[in-house]
Amino acid sequence: MSEDSEIKINHLEGEKISHFKSLSGLEYKRIYDQKDWSGTLPDAGEYPFIRGVHQDMYRGRLWTRRQQSGFGSPEESNELIKYLLRIGQTGINMDADVGTKLGLDPDYPLAQGDVGLQGTSLCTYEDMKALFKDIPLDKVSSTLIIQPPCSAIIMAQYLLMAKERGIPWDKLIGTIMNCAFTQLVGPTFQANTAFFPIDLQVKIALDVIEFLLPRVPRWNIINVNSRNIRETGVDAVQEVAFVLSLACDYIQGLLKRGLGIDVFAPRMAFFSAVHIDLFEEVAKFRAMRRIWARLLKERFGAKNPKSMWCRVAVQTSALPLSAQEPMNNIVRSCIQTLAAVLAGTQSIHTTAYDEAYCLPTEEAQKLAIRTQQILAYETGVMKSVDPLGGSYLVETLTNEIEERIWELMKVIEGKGGFIRCFKDGWVEEQLNEARYRMADAIETGEQSIVGVNIFRQEGQDTEIDIFQQAPDMQAKRIEYVRQYKKNRNQEPVRKALDFLYDTVRHRPEASLMEPVTDAVIARATLQEICDAMRAACDFKIPA
Amino acid sequence: MSKKRIILAKVGLDSHDNGLRIIARWLMDRGYEVIYAGVYNSPEGVVKTAVQEHVHAIGVSFLGGGHLFYADKLLRLMKENGVTDVALFAGGVIPPGDVEKMKGMGVAAVFTPGTRRDVILQMIDGVLERRGDF
Repeated sequence: MSEDSEIKINHLEGEKISHFKSLSGLEYKRIYDQKDWSGTLPDAGEYPFIRGVHQDMYRGRLWTRRQQSGFGSPEESNELIKYLLRIGQTGINMDADVGTKLGLDPDYPLAQGDVGLQGTSLCTYEDMKALFKDIPLDKVSSTLIIQPPCSAIIMAQYLLMAKERGIPWDKLIGTIMNCAFTQLVGPTFQANTAFFPIDLQVKIALDVIEFLLPRVPRWNIINVNSRNIRETGVDAVQEVAFVLSLACDYIQGLLKRGLGIDVFAPRMAFFSAVHIDLFEEVAKFRAMRRIWARLLKERFGAKNPKSMWCRVAVQTSALPLSAQEPMNNIVRSCIQTLAAVLAGTQSIHTTAYDEAYCLPTEEAQKLAIRTQQILAYETGVMKSVDPLGGSYLVETLTNEIEERIWELMKVIEGKGGFIRCFKDGWVEEQLNEARYRMADAIETGEQSIVGVNIFRQEGQDTEIDIFQQAPDMQAKRIEYVRQYKKNRNQEPVRKALDFLYDTVRHRPEASLMEPVTDAVIARATLQEICDAMRAACDFKIPA
Repeated sequence: MSKKRIILAKVGLDSHDNGLRIIARWLMDRGYEVIYAGVYNSPEGVVKTAVQEHVHAIGVSFLGGGHLFYADKLLRLMKENGVTDVALFAGGVIPPGDVEKMKGMGVAAVFTPGTRRDVILQMIDGVLERRGDF
């Protein structure tokens, strides 16, 4: 397009940005000084943890490098995990494919086209063993990206595997995501309710937590995912208000079961987005830590400081990334990763530059890990704790964002809490409005994306390597599960599934962790286990 | 001329629907009648609805890599059901090589991330104008 390649005269005559609003609509002032902020700050590691949950932060231990991994068969993903660990990844982030997340086996007709695409395909106990083959479960922490009801199944498989390998459960380190609302594309209604009753999902999340608490003492019991909330297009204030309101609902559910706040709160954590507005993001995490600490202490009466720690894993947001000039994404994700470090987060996934095209290639994954290593080992940004603390700008933004988050949380509480708002469709309305607003902001140029809506050059596509799946991967997985179901001892499977069905149907208060574990031991597949529970509530799924 | 009708759907299990939601709004603002089928549709279901509702076009969107599998399935089903006068549009995270493949298969246009609103609307208008009213 000739219009785009013309020399932009107005840029030569004193280049100017059109407005000074943050991505979330806060107004950046010309300059900040002591009139804006003149407070004092507690030490890091001290309540309310605005400066970080640990006194020494990265001086004591660097953040965990935790790139999500998972594609194709469990065997292929096992190779990828080993590759990532070899080049310096320090934690595992196991992502299951969508079928697995929704409780569908590869041979279910609607699942066949998506097998192994956005994560690894897992449906049998043997799959779990193949995925973690040779991985020292007591040395490297694993995040299992899976929500209820399948979090119960995957957790049962993982624990059974540990037992079989002779690793005591008290040595296991990791996290089960285990959130019923946020693990797909954020809390959109249809995505989260089409394949399993939502109330039973919440109940199973709590069953999993109650099972893990006394038995697997170093395991994180839930990781409430605001990253996927943010990726719908909501702003930083909504992201945090939504996720903390949802976490409060989970806390209420656990308190109702008679569990003490200090028994479970230290093992709750969050997964958040890091967008590209650097100061706003740093302020967001600092505000989030202060709010969480106050909630836990003042509202829920926690005594153990660890209960008040807002521990956050992050993935840099993909929203600012572009398909145009994909190399620009390397720069963007570096700034986003820097924001995560300056904000004092606990683990980081740097989104790869090629994710506007496909799953990341090994080369792109490596570059993402190298980005973090360069920040950690070369730049010195990790050498002092909360390096932006005390900045007039950052402290003012932290206060402003915090105030707005509290306000929105009050609105949600007034409507009966996040889960109520989800069911009533209020959350859905908020998300949809945010999506349209995001699209408008890019269309009108209010939000600039270099190479997309500003400085765009048509017809100059950069060629990059594209990740390729093995061509017969899906067919093989479908055949695998068919053969698996044919060739096992059927009687124990039937008995275990009947027992699970009866438990859901007739003993709605009983924990489902035990019958689910029995079904895993009997070699029932993931979908068979889910189907038994669905049938017990007469729940039909899309065909 | 009556309003042109278009069905928008996510097929299979990928539920990334930001793009499709936004396109739905843009098409409605443009005067199209949009049948928004949401997520988790089977290709069979989409084509069946297309027949029943006499649509002029089907729009599908992908993020997870299922675009070739489902474009092929949809085009075959459209042919089998005699809806060859309906245009199939696709959008989403689709590598450049696959965009060409999909056009070769018979997808009328493929919109990847960063495509501007006017480009999308003009393309859809143009394709449907050429196909005429039916």
